[in-house]
Amino acid sequence: MKTVKKFLAVLLAAVTVFSLSACGSDPNQTTGTAPAASASSEAEKSGPDDSKNVKIGVLVSDVTSAEALAFRAYYEEYIQKQYNVTFMYSDELADAAAEASAIDNFIANNCKAIISFASADRPAQIEQCEANGVYYAVATGTLTDEQYEKFKSYKYYVGAIGPDLMTEYMAGYNMAKSFLDQGYKYFGMFGGATPYYTEMHIYRAAGMLVAMCEAGKGTYLGASDFGGMIGAIYGAGCQLAPAVIGDVELVGYVGGYDFDDAWFGKLAAVANDPKVEVLLAVGSGQTAFAGFKREGQKLGDIDCYTKDSVALMESGTLNYLAGKFSASIGPIFMATLSAVQGHPIRNAEGNAFAIGQGYWVADNAETAKEYFAVDSSKTEPAYTRAMLDTLYGASYQDFENFVKAYSFDEIKNLAK
Amino acid sequence: MKIGKRIIGTLALPLLTLLAVWLISGARGVALFETQLNLLTFIRAAANVMLVTFALAINLNSGRFDFSVGSVALLSSVISSKLALALGWGPLAMLLVSICAGALLGLISGAVYVTVKLPPIIVSLAVALFFEGLAFTITGGHGVSFANKASLLGFSTIPNFLIIIVLTLLFMIIIFDHTRFGYEYKALLSGQKVAVNTGIREIPNALLCYTIAGALMGAQGFISATTNGTIQMSLNFGSISPMFMAFLPMFIGGFIGRFSNDKLGYFLGAVCSALISLLYVRLNVSSSVQQITSALLLVGFLIYLNNEGKLKALFVRKERGV
Repeated sequence: MKTVKKFLAVLLAAVTVFSLSACGSDPNQTTGTAPAASASSEAEKSGPDDSKNVKIGVLVSDVTSAEALAFRAYYEEYIQKQYNVTFMYSDELADAAAEASAIDNFIANNCKAIISFASADRPAQIEQCEANGVYYAVATGTLTDEQYEKFKSYKYYVGAIGPDLMTEYMAGYNMAKSFLDQGYKYFGMFGGATPYYTEMHIYRAAGMLVAMCEAGKGTYLGASDFGGMIGAIYGAGCQLAPAVIGDVELVGYVGGYDFDDAWFGKLAAVANDPKVEVLLAVGSGQTAFAGFKREGQKLGDIDCYTKDSVALMESGTLNYLAGKFSASIGPIFMATLSAVQGHPIRNAEGNAFAIGQGYWVADNAETAKEYFAVDSSKTEPAYTRAMLDTLYGASYQDFENFVKAYSFDEIKNLAK
Repeated sequence: MKIGKRIIGTLALPLLTLLAVWLISGARGVALFETQLNLLTFIRAAANVMLVTFALAINLNSGRFDFSVGSVALLSSVISSKLALALGWGPLAMLLVSICAGALLGLISGAVYVTVKLPPIIVSLAVALFFEGLAFTITGGHGVSFANKASLLGFSTIPNFLIIIVLTLLFMIIIFDHTRFGYEYKALLSGQKVAVNTGIREIPNALLCYTIAGALMGAQGFISATTNGTIQMSLNFGSISPMFMAFLPMFIGGFIGRFSNDKLGYFLGAVCSALISLLYVRLNVSSSVQQITSALLLVGFLIYLNNEGKLKALFVRKERGV
């Protein structure tokens, strides 16, 4: 009896080993040639296959911000109702280990693809998905140039759509310039996660500072152009400080997200400096400055459109908002679905795509209300099913043209 | 103990802290209290830290580590701000509702503890998660924003914070030093088994402790919310961090308590903490340097407390010329 039990145990182990290796093996797994880019006009005509449910895992590093909630609402309350897909969200992922664990969980739950909003270790995420034959896409972000070169030919790497670093830089630049063009010269700045070496905020801050250098005909940390400013910020350990920039002045600066008494004290000190005319924020400006802002001061923020931000625009507390729109993650979803159903969208070289997409900018309450109404709609968001279906199996050129037409007016024209 | 020694023991640390921050800021050419805003920053920080210190110390002194204090502040401020915005209330009504909501949430937290009979640290973690989730659900994850409501933001004035400080200090001294509840609380601290055997009912005392702590955190949540007009949501123990601001003042308060009233000690500990906060603001110290400095101060003070006897013996030996 004991021998029989031992034999059965060994047999069970062998069956498990062989079945796992059969699941894991895929001769096309390793990096190498990727399917050539081709327009699948038949696929595009037939549209997505809704006959079988497709499970998609979503990696998130932030679950509480307004932007994260808006993105989730678009996927769960619109996309999931329009298509036969199920989104499975991770918990808030703090580090690479948590990301790896979440991906394992998605794979165990039969997710065919993963859309990632988490960036602790994107290379590891891509490698893990490639090894397990699960499609992977980057939403609202990009890979670095080096990373893209390494992973662009991976079979299961779909691509990335989001503001690239130049877009982030221009968002900051345009925001600062809009106030400089109105004649304002004295600024307070909230640097957000700049001290934590967060590239998105560093580039936005750099854009603002270069705009000030151009207007003031001066320099900041010895730099006055894009490349020099990025280098100067990194050279200063991402610790910015107030400075005179020619005729313009960065009167006050606060960085970090401490949320303690000292942090609020610093923000209040900057906002209450009688010299400061304009408060600029690389993000979270409504949290950082709105409550301390003095009468007559201006506030500009790079964030997202929410009911609260619209209310602040209407009350005149917020004067400029550059925000991502929640449906901006629609095309990456469609590209992912298209890949899962056998119609991957690849560029002319047969590689994964990397397409930049920017912000909607509102400098008055009416525009902000109009943007928010579309952005928050559960029935007619910016990218509806009818619009996204045109991307299913589309050519790379058509896909890129669609994604790059991201301004509010361009999207309205696309919808027509 | 002689009155002079008591006064010196009570005031030494706050005065030394004031001297140190004044000298450091002076060396950098920055005046500590240059504007009224600097004074407001200091008073607000003192009020904030004092409330959290009292709330934490009430239960911690009884061996009940409570991680849920931050979540009580969060949820009570969400409840009070939602009501205030919906019903058009002013800041005073919002404060009272926040205190009452905090007291109720604290009572719930205490009730869970006495019911499940698990270690309080475990219970408080579960309660923190629950309250965080509840706040998230109530606001749909979006938090609360009233940054354009001048009436609510207008609470942040020096006189209002001074009133809060004075009333809280008086309340704590009266409740814990001049009531039966306070006597029973101290009896339970010094010997729980003996106290219970003499007829003191531990469970009602614990419930009242949690309720009072919750009320204090309700007030702290109100102050935090009306500072900048937004309440950000926290999940996965994100609300725990505010409690750590109380450790240094608590240990300073314990030290000062030997020479005078420990509640006064906690308040003066909060004053020390607020002075250090103000220094960070005036010198625009980066957050990484702040955290390192605060950690070093806390560890340094703990090392001193743990080796106080040895240091005293060393000085005595030196005086005797040994």
